[in-house]
Amino acid sequence: MLDLFREIFQSLSNNRTRTALTGLAVAWGIFMLIVLLGMSRGVSNSFNSHVTVDNARSMNVYNGFTSKPYKGYREGRMISVEDNDTRKIQQENRSHVEEVTASKQLDSSMVSTPKGYVNDDVWGKFPSELGKARLKMIQGRFLSQKDLDELRRVIVISEPNSEILFGKSNDAVGQRVKIMGLSWLVVGVYRHDWEKSSYIPYTTAMLLSGNNDKVSDLSVKIDHVSSLEDGQAVEKAVRGTLARSHDFDPEDDSAIHIWNRFTNYLQQKTAMDIMDMAVWLIGIFTLLSGIVGVSNIMFVSVRERRHEIGIRRAIGAKPKSVLLQIVAESGVITTLFGYIGVVLGMIVTGVIDMLSKGVEFLDNPTVDLSIAIKVTIVLIVAGAFAGLFPAIKATKVKPVEALRDE
Amino acid sequence: MTDNTEVMISLKDVNKTYPGAVPLHVLKGIDLEVRKGELVSIMGASGSGKSTLLNILGILDNYDTGTYYLDGVLVKDLTENRAAELRNRMIGFVFQSFNLINYKNAVENVALPLFYQGVSRRKRNALAMEQLERMGLADRAHHLPGEMSGGQKQRVAIARALITHPSIILADEPTGALDSKTSHDVMNTFRELNDEGMTILIVTHDPGVGAQTNRIIRISDGVIIPDSGIVTPDNICQCDA
Repeated sequence: MLDLFREIFQSLSNNRTRTALTGLAVAWGIFMLIVLLGMSRGVSNSFNSHVTVDNARSMNVYNGFTSKPYKGYREGRMISVEDNDTRKIQQENRSHVEEVTASKQLDSSMVSTPKGYVNDDVWGKFPSELGKARLKMIQGRFLSQKDLDELRRVIVISEPNSEILFGKSNDAVGQRVKIMGLSWLVVGVYRHDWEKSSYIPYTTAMLLSGNNDKVSDLSVKIDHVSSLEDGQAVEKAVRGTLARSHDFDPEDDSAIHIWNRFTNYLQQKTAMDIMDMAVWLIGIFTLLSGIVGVSNIMFVSVRERRHEIGIRRAIGAKPKSVLLQIVAESGVITTLFGYIGVVLGMIVTGVIDMLSKGVEFLDNPTVDLSIAIKVTIVLIVAGAFAGLFPAIKATKVKPVEALRDE
Repeated sequence: MTDNTEVMISLKDVNKTYPGAVPLHVLKGIDLEVRKGELVSIMGASGSGKSTLLNILGILDNYDTGTYYLDGVLVKDLTENRAAELRNRMIGFVFQSFNLINYKNAVENVALPLFYQGVSRRKRNALAMEQLERMGLADRAHHLPGEMSGGQKQRVAIARALITHPSIILADEPTGALDSKTSHDVMNTFRELNDEGMTILIVTHDPGVGAQTNRIIRISDGVIIPDSGIVTPDNICQCDA
């Protein structure tokens, strides 16, 4: 085995330029494959970290204006979703709707302490918002059902706002802030990439808005859906319920706006899958041109070494050992230079990873060990395959004829 | 021949035809016997069939009918693998153009047949060194063929032919690419090997080379000329130089 590699090394270093050029084609192919895979992985990592199938099983319903006249009403009428819509949607669509929650934005967004003030949105929300918005609590707790039941004046604020309102090193939990002239108890501080809103119990927010039943939006958590068609059917059913209670044409898409996260998710996921596949295809084809190069060079090499192969055959080389040598030579070139490509690709994706920290659409654009292993297998198989046909040709060399031509 | 030594090569009615639009009958019933320890030359004009005969003797080519025994082994319809194995173990080749591998040094070239026997690198290099010393080339052991003279290259090739202790050495115009002095040295080497008991068969068209062998077999138009035999001053000058 060691002897075989010595033979291969000798014949490869005997043709340095040719070996290097061939190797370059393979290294480039693999390098492109790794970088492309890394980038596509970065994009899909970023997609996956923001959206999972669990929090994608929901729809948000927003106010809109009618665009069609209906039952004597003219178009252009504003449709506002109301608190009692939550119960109606749930009752009429029990099979697919798990929970309906509403949220209410306070008219005033000013949150202040003696130390400073912030002007981000203040939302009345349910405890489930913690998971939906993917907030990470770093101090205290999020809103609880009890907060809602007892109409407590408690608030959860974001980390940067906590620093403005209470200073960097101070614990915000247990302290008080002012909104609309009322005093609120801070129960928690969260961390999130971009979200800075403050959260108060939904019931408290509704109380502060007086007898108005209007809410800012509805969030419908759906279940037992698996396909795009399921998602669209649930959306249609919800729209139908609201059309009946607010008297608008169920075909009027602008009367209320529905953001169907589930169908969105499926569409994006399909796009991601297509991108992933396209990247593999591009990479494999780039690699393939490298492999064809190797095969071509091995053909030339066999042609050039006809005489040498003739000598080897005359002094006792069996066809098998000639075959093995050519195949192994090709495998060694491919694997060796392929690995140079893998390492360079890893370095480049690593650098991109470092430079892209904080860039939203890229998250860890590197390839992992399993891909490196897959690529290794692809390389060895491809290299052996590239060498196979030239090697078969080499075994067909007749020693008599090969020795004759000088 | 009257001595009772063992027969090394025995050809009986060997025929060979190259197929084609006009089939070419190259060997027309060759009968040939070479005994162990002989130094024989085969002489003939180009196109006489001597190269084809050499290729058949060297198991590099097949023949159509007849029988060929080499050191007691019937050489007929062999697989590529078996042919390679017999070439490796029983035959030492020496060619006109040396046929050394140009990127391997002398030791590696000499050791190459043992590589195909699976002998370890250390052992085969040691054996190769022995053969090179025998040829007086120990100081050239790590030189590439390009760095050696023709005579040295041919002696490296002879060392390579000897390393497997073959039954027979087949030399194809071994002096064809050498000057007269070097040719003389190489022929002396063959004679010395023959004195040590090695069976040697030299194909040549050079009467000077033929004269230094113990028996000349003349081949013409695919048949062996019957009265060719022990070298005498008469039949030397009949040669077709």
